[in-house]
Amino acid sequence: MSRLFPKRKNTDRIPAGREFDQAAIDGQGKWIPAACWFNCGGRCYNAALVVNDMVVRQKTDDTHPDSPDFPQQRGCPRGRSMRQQVFGPDRLKYPIRRKHWEPLTGGDKTLRGRDEWVRISWDEAIDYVAAELKHAKETYGNRSIVVPHWANSFSEFYEVLNAFGGFTQIFDTGSFGTYVYVSLVLGLPLLDMDSANDRFDLRNSETIVLYACNPAWAAGGNPAYHFWQAKKAGAEFIFVGPSHNATADYLDARWIRVRPGTDTAFLLAVAYTMFKEDNPAGNPLIDWDFLHRYTVGIDAEHMPDDAMVDENFKDYVLGKYDGQPKTPAWASEISGTPVNDIVWYARQMRKDRKVALLHSYAAARCNNADDFPQIFMSIGAMGGHFGKSGHSCGAAYHFQSANCGPSLVSAGASGAPELPNQVTDIIAAVDLWDAILTGKYDSTPGPMIGVPVEKDIDIDIRVIYHAARNSLQTIPGCNKAIDAHRKLDFVVSNAFSLNTSARYSDIVLPISTQWERQSDYFYRPASNREVQFFPSRVIQPLYEARSDQWIATELCKRLGLDAKKVYPISEEQKYFNVIADSQVINAQGTGYETLVTISEEDLAEWGAKWGVTGTPQQGRIGLKELMEKGVYQVERYEGDNKGFISYKDFIEDPEANPLNSASGKFEIYCQTKADLINEMGRSTVKPYPTYIPALNGYEQSFSDWDNKVKGEYPYQVYNPHYPRRAHTVFDDTPVLREAWKNPVFISAHDATQKGIKDGDTVMIYNRYGKVLRKAGISHRIMPGCIALPHGAWMNIDEKTGIDNGGSDNVLCAPVTTGCGVTGYNTNLVNFEKYDGNPLEADTENLPRAMKLTKEVK
Amino acid sequence: MALGFFFDVTMCIGCRTCQVACKDRNGLKVGIVFRRVRSFETGHYPEALSYNYSGSCNHCKDARCVKGCPSGAMYHAEDGTVQHDRQKCLGCGYCTWNCPYGVPQLDEEAGIVGKCDSCKPLRDAGKNPVCVDACLMRCLEFGDLDELASRHGKNLVRELPILPSPALTNPCVAIKPKTCAFSADVREVDL
Repeated sequence: MSRLFPKRKNTDRIPAGREFDQAAIDGQGKWIPAACWFNCGGRCYNAALVVNDMVVRQKTDDTHPDSPDFPQQRGCPRGRSMRQQVFGPDRLKYPIRRKHWEPLTGGDKTLRGRDEWVRISWDEAIDYVAAELKHAKETYGNRSIVVPHWANSFSEFYEVLNAFGGFTQIFDTGSFGTYVYVSLVLGLPLLDMDSANDRFDLRNSETIVLYACNPAWAAGGNPAYHFWQAKKAGAEFIFVGPSHNATADYLDARWIRVRPGTDTAFLLAVAYTMFKEDNPAGNPLIDWDFLHRYTVGIDAEHMPDDAMVDENFKDYVLGKYDGQPKTPAWASEISGTPVNDIVWYARQMRKDRKVALLHSYAAARCNNADDFPQIFMSIGAMGGHFGKSGHSCGAAYHFQSANCGPSLVSAGASGAPELPNQVTDIIAAVDLWDAILTGKYDSTPGPMIGVPVEKDIDIDIRVIYHAARNSLQTIPGCNKAIDAHRKLDFVVSNAFSLNTSARYSDIVLPISTQWERQSDYFYRPASNREVQFFPSRVIQPLYEARSDQWIATELCKRLGLDAKKVYPISEEQKYFNVIADSQVINAQGTGYETLVTISEEDLAEWGAKWGVTGTPQQGRIGLKELMEKGVYQVERYEGDNKGFISYKDFIEDPEANPLNSASGKFEIYCQTKADLINEMGRSTVKPYPTYIPALNGYEQSFSDWDNKVKGEYPYQVYNPHYPRRAHTVFDDTPVLREAWKNPVFISAHDATQKGIKDGDTVMIYNRYGKVLRKAGISHRIMPGCIALPHGAWMNIDEKTGIDNGGSDNVLCAPVTTGCGVTGYNTNLVNFEKYDGNPLEADTENLPRAMKLTKEVK
Repeated sequence: MALGFFFDVTMCIGCRTCQVACKDRNGLKVGIVFRRVRSFETGHYPEALSYNYSGSCNHCKDARCVKGCPSGAMYHAEDGTVQHDRQKCLGCGYCTWNCPYGVPQLDEEAGIVGKCDSCKPLRDAGKNPVCVDACLMRCLEFGDLDELASRHGKNLVRELPILPSPALTNPCVAIKPKTCAFSADVREVDL
């Protein structure tokens, strides 16, 4: 009956978003190109509709008509939710400190992560932070301050700490896994980026292998659309990975299933099949001419000059050294791939077929995956799939997915100085929490960056400064991270919402978002190759939020540093410089020219508005028009001389254009690789790719491998990138939590065995932690494998120790192998139906900041 | 001539950008969704497949929401689309019971119904509905169904095992299916 007599609110007009339609089209509202600034995997256009100083709507690219060849740069659900985040209930409004924190002692440090918060003034906050930094430096030295960042270039904030004498860094293989170490030495580009052909040439491929790629989820924007164009042009797709994912679905890819961390075994059996079945006369699978001219180490006839071991790849594959031929049957037991699929895959690699072999980095984000890059490259080389139209072998990742090649429009330099970090300590990310807890670490990042390998180095870390990275939950071993945080003297975060690292801090400094700044940011120029985005400030800083550079400048004053020397250029001026210095490819595709025309009038306007100075210049597009559009996109078409075939120069003339490796060729035998990794002392590898069962990999899920008796943690868990968030960012956004429910994906076979139904709350656990999620039961994931989406905001119940948020790194082991890889995708767990209260939907568990800051005084 | 949405099941990656863009334009809180993307799985391991369905108002010719509305708030506009007059709406929720697609949404707190208006004010100004312009895969369109059919081929359907029978409401929608979407052995999956 209640619906017949509804409780209608006493208003005739309940505001509805559609009432802004008029403002969106007739100029009453102003569309401002707006930043989309996170590490999501895409690079797309975003704009905000501002009416009466309020953002009332967003849109994506409509700056030109849309076509497959000249596509609009449309953004994903995360970008479309940006205003929910900028204006969200989770925004931090004021500087806050922990209620039971005390200066210089930390107060009750065990309350970190569960204390109440007290509002403080900016002066108090900066004074406190400066005093703690000075105290740590004077008492323990700069080494006692750790800033777990990706690189200096990620935020201008780090410069103040460099100027202050530096800090201990971490070295995290992160997204790229073992490619961080073994790309250049093998002859690949750094990180194997820009290593495949561009989107137009992809349409010339007959077969496209997507090796653990999932652009539908992990590379927002156009990549999935570009792959569709290749499909329309006739390409057949193969997908390799432990689940038949969203990308495999829409491309109708044939699924080749391989368990996490067993890829090298699978690909060795592919090589075995190619060696066995190859017959230059009747069945030419292997491109021997290619191997002869462009590679070293395939067999005894092709050894490089620097070889220290009298062994080669082919004889290893055939079983000469260990008595084990790497047959499909051998691999199948390990990888779970049916023998027929391995043989079929090998035949698809044949040299007379146009094959694009494209990988993400998921298979390299595994323990003991040091040889994955080399075996992947070796299979490509055996088929001769490098440097020719239709053939390529390289990465399909993030904004370069389906479209590799040098930028056709690129950002310039800001002119800001980069200060050196005088502290030489660099700790492998996976070892960081142990280093804090035990006071010792092994320095292994060394050889890659010119620091000697050294064991058992003493270190006394007292302070952690979180800025531009949510490290507490993006490094494996969150429970150990909490212990480490509760040991330190002082923890501080710069954050715009109470992300997990901020939650466990003593003081949190509220930063403005990129919508509140007229400045450059790390991911802006990291664009897809045909586009640069030029967003403008959308609104004034909210509440008391300030920019990182403002905070750093204030810190300079308290730390006795000359802010004008550390930050000689304003944020606005740096952005202007970058824009002015931008280059665009010329019409002929033969060189670059200045992008922007800047007039005296532009300079007057920018000077008045942003305090910027400059000189007039001539370019392709006027500054005013560029900034109003917010994007410059090079219009591409078939045959426009702006395409990209990777390794083309090397293939045409390998002597004149050698690769980065010692031999100048693709190194299927790579002495440098073996020396590099073996020197680190975590694993022993051969110069050619071999299979080493992974730490916490499939084999270790058994207590008795020979008799196939499962052990204590019999399931493999891996962590797919998830569309609800960009790593951990956006995960507090209500509309995204509604659209993406974040279950844990469990195979129907395993669920049946455990009596678990779809939607049941399950606990997934191992010796490192416990998480709760609702079961998402699927027939498209291999039995024995569990997919726990990456980046969910950790929310540990202090009473039970269980993470109700489902954070992947609660379960990821803080252990490593080989090159010190962060091995997110090789972890072992068990799971069961949870007998406590069922988990509520994630939308019911928001917002975090309001819940935790209600005690603010 | 009838106006409606075209949706290409073969291309959809299930990203839910349309759903989120729709919520952004309509200012909808959690729990109220005018365009919803759902994901489905068919078959069994290792042959299982999946597809996504982006559904909103089908602007039916025999719209049950219009027939059952006691206040005349639900009506067919001059262009044939089903529109909702917020001033007339009683918030009784009859339309939410009558629509077999579950399209009208009752905001219990506000005591009013809302649903997809196919972004009529934007269309009247020559623009597309926001979901169409948001789609990463360009697999949503809006327009004259005959024209859409001539552009996208003859094999468009209005009926799938996951949808109510079109005989109920005569929906103005054109779906380009993929084979697995015809499977009756289908499970909805939360992603």
